[in-house]
Amino acid sequence: MAHMLMINPEKCTGCHNCELACSMAHEGVFRPDATRVHVYSWEREGFSVPMMCQHCRDAPCITVCTPHALTRDPDTGWVNLDEGKCIGCKMCVQACPFGNSIWDELTHKILKCDNCGGDPACAKMCPTQALEWVDDLTATRRRKRAFTEKFKDAFSE
Amino acid sequence: MNGWTGKILRVNLSTGKLSTEPLDPDSAKDYLGARGLGTKIMTDEVDPKVDPLSPKNKLIFAPGPLTGSYAPSAGRYTVVTKGALTGAIASSNSGGVWGPELKFAGYDALIIEGAAPKPVYLWIRNQKVEIRDASHIWGKTVPETSDAIRAETDDDAKIACIGPAGENRVLFAAIMNDLHRAAGRSGTGAVMGSKNLKAIAVVGSGAVTCADPKAFETAVMDAREKIQKHPVGGAGLRLYGTNVLTNILNEVGGYPTRNFQDGHFPTADKIGGETLAATLLQRPRGCFSCIISCGRVTKVTNKKYAGEGEGPEYETAWGFGGDCGVDNLDAVTKANYLCNEYGMDTISMAATIACAMELYERGFISRKDTGGVALEWGNAEAMVEATRLTGVGEGFGKKLALGSYRLAESYGHSELSMTVKKQEIPAYDARAIQGIGLNYATANCGAAHVRGYTISPEVLGVPMKVDKDTIEGKPALVILFQNLTAALDATGSCLFATFGIGADELAGMLSAVTGVAYTTDDFMKCGDRIYNLERQWNLAAGLTAKDDTLPIRLLNEPIKTGASKGMVSRLPEMLPTYYELRGWDGNGVPTPAKLGELSLTA
Amino acid sequence: MKVQYFATLRDVTGKKEEDWQEPEATVGDLIRALVTRYGHAFERWVVKDGDLWDLVIVLVNGHDVRNLQRFGTKLAPGDTVVIFPPVGGG
Repeated sequence: MAHMLMINPEKCTGCHNCELACSMAHEGVFRPDATRVHVYSWEREGFSVPMMCQHCRDAPCITVCTPHALTRDPDTGWVNLDEGKCIGCKMCVQACPFGNSIWDELTHKILKCDNCGGDPACAKMCPTQALEWVDDLTATRRRKRAFTEKFKDAFSE
Repeated sequence: MNGWTGKILRVNLSTGKLSTEPLDPDSAKDYLGARGLGTKIMTDEVDPKVDPLSPKNKLIFAPGPLTGSYAPSAGRYTVVTKGALTGAIASSNSGGVWGPELKFAGYDALIIEGAAPKPVYLWIRNQKVEIRDASHIWGKTVPETSDAIRAETDDDAKIACIGPAGENRVLFAAIMNDLHRAAGRSGTGAVMGSKNLKAIAVVGSGAVTCADPKAFETAVMDAREKIQKHPVGGAGLRLYGTNVLTNILNEVGGYPTRNFQDGHFPTADKIGGETLAATLLQRPRGCFSCIISCGRVTKVTNKKYAGEGEGPEYETAWGFGGDCGVDNLDAVTKANYLCNEYGMDTISMAATIACAMELYERGFISRKDTGGVALEWGNAEAMVEATRLTGVGEGFGKKLALGSYRLAESYGHSELSMTVKKQEIPAYDARAIQGIGLNYATANCGAAHVRGYTISPEVLGVPMKVDKDTIEGKPALVILFQNLTAALDATGSCLFATFGIGADELAGMLSAVTGVAYTTDDFMKCGDRIYNLERQWNLAAGLTAKDDTLPIRLLNEPIKTGASKGMVSRLPEMLPTYYELRGWDGNGVPTPAKLGELSLTA
Repeated sequence: MKVQYFATLRDVTGKKEEDWQEPEATVGDLIRALVTRYGHAFERWVVKDGDLWDLVIVLVNGHDVRNLQRFGTKLAPGDTVVIFPPVGGG
């Protein structure tokens, strides 16, 4: 059973705790610029969404990575970055359609979510479960179930 | 340095000079940051007798050592200056995300000096700082300003700005950040407007570092758990927001109604937090690093009062609601949106309208004076129109812009202004709740509730319940809350973290992030020191013990209806004990012994 | 006597207020009767370890029972009892 970092944007309050947790866990400091998860906010509407690497099955970043620094682990399904092999060409930054491969100007490194090896710091810090580390079947089916409940309510007497 | 960035940015708008200087480690140790550091800078650099709107006043923006870390609900900053409304020291606290951005840009404080010859805005990207022309942005509302500046700087720039109200020097104009958050009280926005400074845009790519990450993580996780377990911090505030207080205050009979003519408002439920949650609420919202999420994202679809944004909070709902006799939540929310768009403190705006309504109802102001606006109790339309006129600076709005004290004084009835040190009293009746009255009278920035929020013990029962009607023990209680709050404010923490944690946990997190060891006593002493430094500044500005008082109505006129019927404030019985316990003489002046204890000089 | 509910208790009871017909000698008797009527969903907001939860605001005719006799506070017919679960601050 594979796990995924599930995003529930309707629960996001725009607090950035996930960014701080990620930054401290990976870089040892609080630097929202150097995080693998980023929160985008629309202040007028009061809406925020956290976003990070989705570990695509057919990952364009892997396709363009010449030194094979980016690879897919067949057991977990995660896209992993070997920093030792990375040459900093930034092809993955250009290839990812979701913008989830980030170039850090300060350290000259590629920043990409690595699921913290299976215990994501961001999900632990999120106060509203806008980010959840869940088994992927539960995650997707739960939302479907929640929505279809509306039909039950609509058709009930 | 850790926690702190170790650097202060100084901008002189008269000369255009930009410079940085190191943060003095002794000042940092003794005053922490934010409100504390700002007060220290004011003491060292600003003559307390200056005119607040003159170039000689300074405007200081300071986050704290916890700001930008993952200490729970600790993303705040303080604006410190001489208040345009009060002539006393002003330290207005705000949340949102702007304060942390200034830390990531590398600064513990931004000091604005002088005044620009024409409208400008400040653009800070880490070490790169520019003063830019803002003449094409002058006159714009807060949301328009944010859009315009982002288009010229960076889509992700965090913006603190004034609206037309600050430009026009409305005496209670606010500085707004992130559209919906306010450094609201005491007229900080008017000071910014007097400097021709429209906005400060910040992008920060740097780091806030931590001295002992393991210890900090442990302290933070412990603090988070305590707040999350607490019913108020962990669930209550997210469900209902601060406006849940409407019914609570009303039921205990301490809900000031119609300019404090009474303490109970029969239809208060219509504008309370439960009703807000059931009607206008879209979703909760949190500031930087917040785990409480008390913010209310709201929308009014009613055509007459249509709008969207954040709020209303309790004080706002009270002010535009019961204080004006209005029970229309759409109208109250619209007035709240207008204040955010034009950049005005909702408490002072609303209470000034309430005062004007009483003057009108008593016949001291005529309909001719108001330009046709019928300032009758409960007239929601008039209340909203009065707010709008003040924001745009037209008609009677120009008189309302003076605040209730100067407005009422101009009609010969300053006793009808419900203020302390010319700042409007917020949403808790001092006659029904003795301790909060003492806090209003002695808060250094003028009447304010968060300076010493004894509503927590006196009404809510947090951390323990005390009788709201007794005066025994109240001076000590008020002092404790005032000192704790001063220290808490100086770290960058939000007051609502105290629904769960206290001085012990704050001192622990502070020590771990800065690497400077603070015991709980050290921490509380910082608070006491900050409080006394503010007091000294005010005394030098010309305030005296005579200003530590309440409006005559609260001292002499009993509440008419509700659970606290018949009560008055017993301030005169509490004040001497307060001075004594504070270590001040009979005139409210800190004694040499007290100053020595805090390592302050006379 | 009249009983008024606020915040989460409105959802739990489905009401803003009700006329409680049974005579209850004390606040404790009333709360226990309400727990019987509304179950654990009500109890968890009001009762802790068999006693009044310290953070709950119960007013009898506007007076907070925590400054009276808590659960032992006497009730009379015609009294108004108001109950706030722990929710507020600011």
